[in-house]
Amino acid sequence: MDMFLYLDKDTLLHRLDPRTKLLIMLGSFIVTLIFRYIPMLLGLFIAIILYGYLGKVLSNLKRIRVILIMIALVSVVLWAFAGGGDTQILGPITKEGIVYGVAVAIQFNIMIISGMIFLSSTKIEEISLGLVKLKLPYRGAFAFSTAIRLVPTIVGTAYTIKQAQKSRGLDLDSGSFMHRAKKYIPLLIPTIISVIRGTNVFAMALESKGFGYDRIRTNYLELRFRAIDYILMLLMLVAIAFSIYAKIKFVS
Amino acid sequence: MEAAIKKVGTKSISIKKLSFRYKDQKDRKAIEEINLDVEKGQFIVIMGPSGAGKSTLANCLNGLVPHFIRGEYEGEVWINNIKVKDSTVSNMAKEIGLVFQDFESQLFSTNTKLEIAFGPENFGVEREEIRKRIEKVLRIVKLESFEDRQPSTLSGGEKQRLAIGSVLASQPNTICMDEPTTDLDPIGKLGIFNIARELHESKELTLIIIEHETEEALQADRLIIMENGKIIRDGLPQDILRKTDLTDKIGIMSLQIPKYFSIVSSLSNENLPLTPIEGFEKFKTVGLKINEEKYNMLELADEEREGKYGDVLIEVSDLEHTYANGRGALMGASLQIREGEFLAITGHNGSGKTTLVKHLNGLLIPTSGTVIVNGKDTSESSIFEIGKKIGYVFQNPDHQIFADTVYEEVAFSPKIRGCPKEEIETRVKEALKAVEMEGYEEEDPFSLAKGERQRIAVASVLSARPKIIILDEPTTGLDYKEQKKMMNLIKSLNEDGHTIIIITHTMWVVSEYAHKVAVLKEGEIMMYGKTREVFQREEDLLNSHLRTPHIVSLSNKLGKTMLSIDEMTKCTEAVK
Repeated sequence: MDMFLYLDKDTLLHRLDPRTKLLIMLGSFIVTLIFRYIPMLLGLFIAIILYGYLGKVLSNLKRIRVILIMIALVSVVLWAFAGGGDTQILGPITKEGIVYGVAVAIQFNIMIISGMIFLSSTKIEEISLGLVKLKLPYRGAFAFSTAIRLVPTIVGTAYTIKQAQKSRGLDLDSGSFMHRAKKYIPLLIPTIISVIRGTNVFAMALESKGFGYDRIRTNYLELRFRAIDYILMLLMLVAIAFSIYAKIKFVS
Repeated sequence: MEAAIKKVGTKSISIKKLSFRYKDQKDRKAIEEINLDVEKGQFIVIMGPSGAGKSTLANCLNGLVPHFIRGEYEGEVWINNIKVKDSTVSNMAKEIGLVFQDFESQLFSTNTKLEIAFGPENFGVEREEIRKRIEKVLRIVKLESFEDRQPSTLSGGEKQRLAIGSVLASQPNTICMDEPTTDLDPIGKLGIFNIARELHESKELTLIIIEHETEEALQADRLIIMENGKIIRDGLPQDILRKTDLTDKIGIMSLQIPKYFSIVSSLSNENLPLTPIEGFEKFKTVGLKINEEKYNMLELADEEREGKYGDVLIEVSDLEHTYANGRGALMGASLQIREGEFLAITGHNGSGKTTLVKHLNGLLIPTSGTVIVNGKDTSESSIFEIGKKIGYVFQNPDHQIFADTVYEEVAFSPKIRGCPKEEIETRVKEALKAVEMEGYEEEDPFSLAKGERQRIAVASVLSARPKIIILDEPTTGLDYKEQKKMMNLIKSLNEDGHTIIIITHTMWVVSEYAHKVAVLKEGEIMMYGKTREVFQREEDLLNSHLRTPHIVSLSNKLGKTMLSIDEMTKCTEAVK
């Protein structure tokens, strides 16, 4: 099963410097979190989708569509009941609650989609190199990128193990919550053991290829800011500055 | 230091009185008093049963032992005049490259190019030079035009070749591969050995391969046999492998041709042929022939066996499967499995073997076509329901085992099916007896050896008392003795009335044990029928990336198809 998020394509987005993409991702988080105003959020949502479209990586969103929809639904339903407000629609459900829930749903989804676009268009090596260029020590950056890399491996192993236990008659879908939680033990233990065994070989292979030989290390990938990087970063910084300014002005 | 340089001279490896004991090892040392000198440019194969200390020795070469794996270390290892113990693993990577069996875990980059670049990057090689090395390495490991591929999309053989390439890129003058071909199909294996031979031809590189397939070992300059942590034989592979009584005793697979001739002829050891071609010549010169009558009896026995099969248990028709990512894994497979059959499903890595059998117990549902098990369509019944009739032993026992004791592990299946306590007890007893693991009830399954864990995995499926048992690669990662034991267990289960389906690409296992064979290639069943009939078509098997065992090849050259040394000796007689 192919569990890797990165989509190898040659687009403007893929050619951007990872630092630019990192800034855009973090910037989109900040701007999103500053406003809880639906038209503004919708605008941002469209901007992010367009940004992903540029890199032809939106197909990856299909893989997480269930998560995106679930978050939206949970948020709207939850806040509809718990959001408070005066305009009651039905029982404890209020209009303000629903509006608030929709805004939170969009906020969450923007952040997830933004993160997904980053991971789908940036090689793991670029992420770690970008972090190194931002003055993070190489070992730290490598550890971070390894963590990202391990997720699909763990998911893949867990999937195989789930099938193995299901074949033995493990029924994961029935029973009370506690009962079901207990049933996951046969999945958990082999997964942890397999991951530990796998990472042990991984560590040995790393060392055997000269990892940590010297503090100075060549980077085969070249990172370079192009004009488009500067333009996008500038735009993002302006957007952030404007958001903060508007927020202060709006609040006061 | 200077004295040491004089001592080792042109040797690339020099090991003196090397012993190592793992931290948790009580009874004996993993390797003991090893002395070994390797000339520059030699090609060495190391063989031996599990637990002989082969991997430990390999890990000593680049310093993983004692720097990464700790324990009691005595003696000295010198690589290119560098004392390994006083160096570091990353330092040694410039001198010696290590390739592991598990190719999934040693590849970690986004594409092939970056995977190869990783080593030179660490050593601070100039970018332009790295570019050149990538090009060169891709050519050596025959992965040109794969430079932008994600390693996860490569086949098993390609992945292992990439792993070799990633080590070559740091330009060490010694390469050591620890069972690089265990998980590969026959042609994938051949690919690795072809690369090994080409590397060896340059004479610059010292090559050490740990292998358990005897047929491949013939290509080496020197063969080393290890047992219980010691080197017990060291010499020309042809000389050592002709002594089949020795290989039999140690528990590595004997070459079939010399073994057969040592039984049927009185040839002296040094005159024994080694390969099917040599065997074919010898067969005529020593005056042997095939007894037609006895051969016909073999064919008759095949027919008879087929007549005894019971009802149709599994009916697969026009099965197609396409994964969610759009990859088509099966393109219209049809099979009919009757009660009492022993079917082997074989084919190259990624041919769709596992995808096919996962349909048989409902883990996968057909994209189109139907799978009927016991008269029921799998798309309409649950895995739980089908699981009562079909037991599935996964390839890696560690994907199944989770309990604290062997008893708990084996009792799991009957327990969740709601059996009463006494019933569970009898079933566990019965299952452990079948796999010959009685008395292990209170052991921790994780502390057992791989072969034993594999048997526990089988027992834990047996305890559900399934009619049909599916085993995915039951012999992978086991040594010859354990493989034989495993297969004899499966055979006796079959004789007790279980219908058996195994997935394997170990060809002698197929020829000696399976009644029927289905050969898959790129998602299609290319060949399907009685083992004897399928193995007769050597050319077609080769087209599906499979090779017949030596003894089968020899008999085919003689115009008959015999599946084991036993069959072959029974049908051989002297020309009067």
